[in-house]
Amino acid sequence: MRSIAFFSSCLAALSSFASAELNGSQALLSRSVLPSTFKPPQVFKNANLVRNINLDKAYPREVINVIIENVDSKPQSEYYVPFETSLLSRVGGFEVRDKKNAEKGPFKVEVVGLDTESSTEFFLIHLPTPLAPKEQQTLSISYSVLSALTPMPAKIGQSDRQYVQYTFSAYSPSAYATEKQKTKLKFPSGDVPDYTTLPAELNAEKKADPQKQGSTFSYGPYNNVPAGAEEFVSVRYEFTKPLTHATLLERDLEISHWGGNLATEERYWLANQGAQLKNHFSRVEWQKTQYLNPPSSALRELKLPLHPGAVDPYFTDDIGNVSTSRFRPGKKEALLELKPRYPIFGGWKYSFRVGWNADLSSYLRKLSTGESYVLKVPFLEGPRIGEGIAYARVNLRVILPEGATNVRYSTTVALVDSKTSVHKTFMDTLGRPTLELSAINVVDDFRERDLIVTYDYPWTAGLRKPIVLTLGLFAVFGVTWVLGNIDTSIGKKKTA
Amino acid sequence: MSNPLLDVWEAASASPFHPIVSKDNEFVLGFSLLLFSLFIGGVFSLNRSFINLPLLGVPASIAFGFGSVLMICAVGVYV
Repeated sequence: MRSIAFFSSCLAALSSFASAELNGSQALLSRSVLPSTFKPPQVFKNANLVRNINLDKAYPREVINVIIENVDSKPQSEYYVPFETSLLSRVGGFEVRDKKNAEKGPFKVEVVGLDTESSTEFFLIHLPTPLAPKEQQTLSISYSVLSALTPMPAKIGQSDRQYVQYTFSAYSPSAYATEKQKTKLKFPSGDVPDYTTLPAELNAEKKADPQKQGSTFSYGPYNNVPAGAEEFVSVRYEFTKPLTHATLLERDLEISHWGGNLATEERYWLANQGAQLKNHFSRVEWQKTQYLNPPSSALRELKLPLHPGAVDPYFTDDIGNVSTSRFRPGKKEALLELKPRYPIFGGWKYSFRVGWNADLSSYLRKLSTGESYVLKVPFLEGPRIGEGIAYARVNLRVILPEGATNVRYSTTVALVDSKTSVHKTFMDTLGRPTLELSAINVVDDFRERDLIVTYDYPWTAGLRKPIVLTLGLFAVFGVTWVLGNIDTSIGKKKTA
Repeated sequence: MSNPLLDVWEAASASPFHPIVSKDNEFVLGFSLLLFSLFIGGVFSLNRSFINLPLLGVPASIAFGFGSVLMICAVGVYV
């Protein structure tokens, strides 16, 4: 009877270990589904809206600054932003702040879909304090659109300049009537050979639309645009830089209390979404231009700024070690310069892995309350390149030491999935609790976003590995003694 | 927006984590413990008596347990 009780208590202890508690304080980017007849209640109007589209990088970044006004008789706190379904699935880093109080942090946002195959979905913004009737508030809505640029022409020569096209609505996406609005575009250069011209009658000032000023264009202003109105325009501009897109990034962070080490490994699946080569790749032509270092649509180098104190870097791909890399440790940052085996032209792909070690003391702190630890690591590191890099999906794993329990985390990056699992590796008996977080449509602007993880790790759990090994060797001693005492001699037993 | 876990991180700024054995000493300590374990194991193999089992086997096993954990860390597999 006692043994059954002991056994059941052992089982309970094991199961509590395996299902390390996950109570993240950051809400996931949840998705709720509404009936197809749903229309956002017309309780707001946009008094004034200015939308800035920055095309400097390989993904358009849009910032909408809008003064919203409650036109209802009751206080309201739910503001909808509509997007076409196919576009919404490519919108990343959607964040809303109070323009006049930006340091208060982003507002809570969720995705709202409709139950039939509706072409429109919404981001639902929850204002932290409901807006009183006739009151106004200035919102700053920022987001990036991934895979939005189309090379035009789709095929170019190896040393040709690349042109890309971006299509968007001159009217800002809005579920509410907008009194006055304007869309400003910032191009990387003044080379904009083609753009849609809108009739001057639409323009509030009856001027030519768009207005050009160097590398800046502006569509509008437009007065009294109804809710949901769209007016598609296209611009085609020079962008002789790679459109670097990571279809997947897997990032592992492994914590070792015994070794005092934080091991990072990142596995990339990169693709260049730029214009494809018209002819075959010419190594001679490529090599001739290398000393001049002209702008190119090919990705030739990646620079990963690592935190100071990073050591033992490695850079491998499917073949093995890639020797064309350089590591420059420094006090401010440790720069890891990677050159892929070949320049990555439009339509080409390259997958590789990089990893490095760092002292755990800069990332982990012990709490004064018992045996709890707090870990602060960057959610995303990755290359820093001028034209930017977009990640369709980031899977982050934080592998905690064996025996860690009560795992909690917090990050400002919007997540689509989070769970704990068990990762088994060297010298493990039960496996290590692993926090798995997934985010989609992340851009390199999120490089400095932190992930904070807290967990409990009793000192007895740290002894698990040496004790298992100790018992193992002691068993060898025991077996040796037993086997050594077996009398295998032939003949009569010796009597002492 | 205040972040409770960020406050926890800031509150613990005075106590960064330090391992029991620093990275620089892992190899020396791990190697010595493994050598000690090998030596004691050797002595036991010369005289495999019942009294020697706990007397030599236990210290050799403990030295091996901790020594191998430190040694595997020292060679770059941070367990």
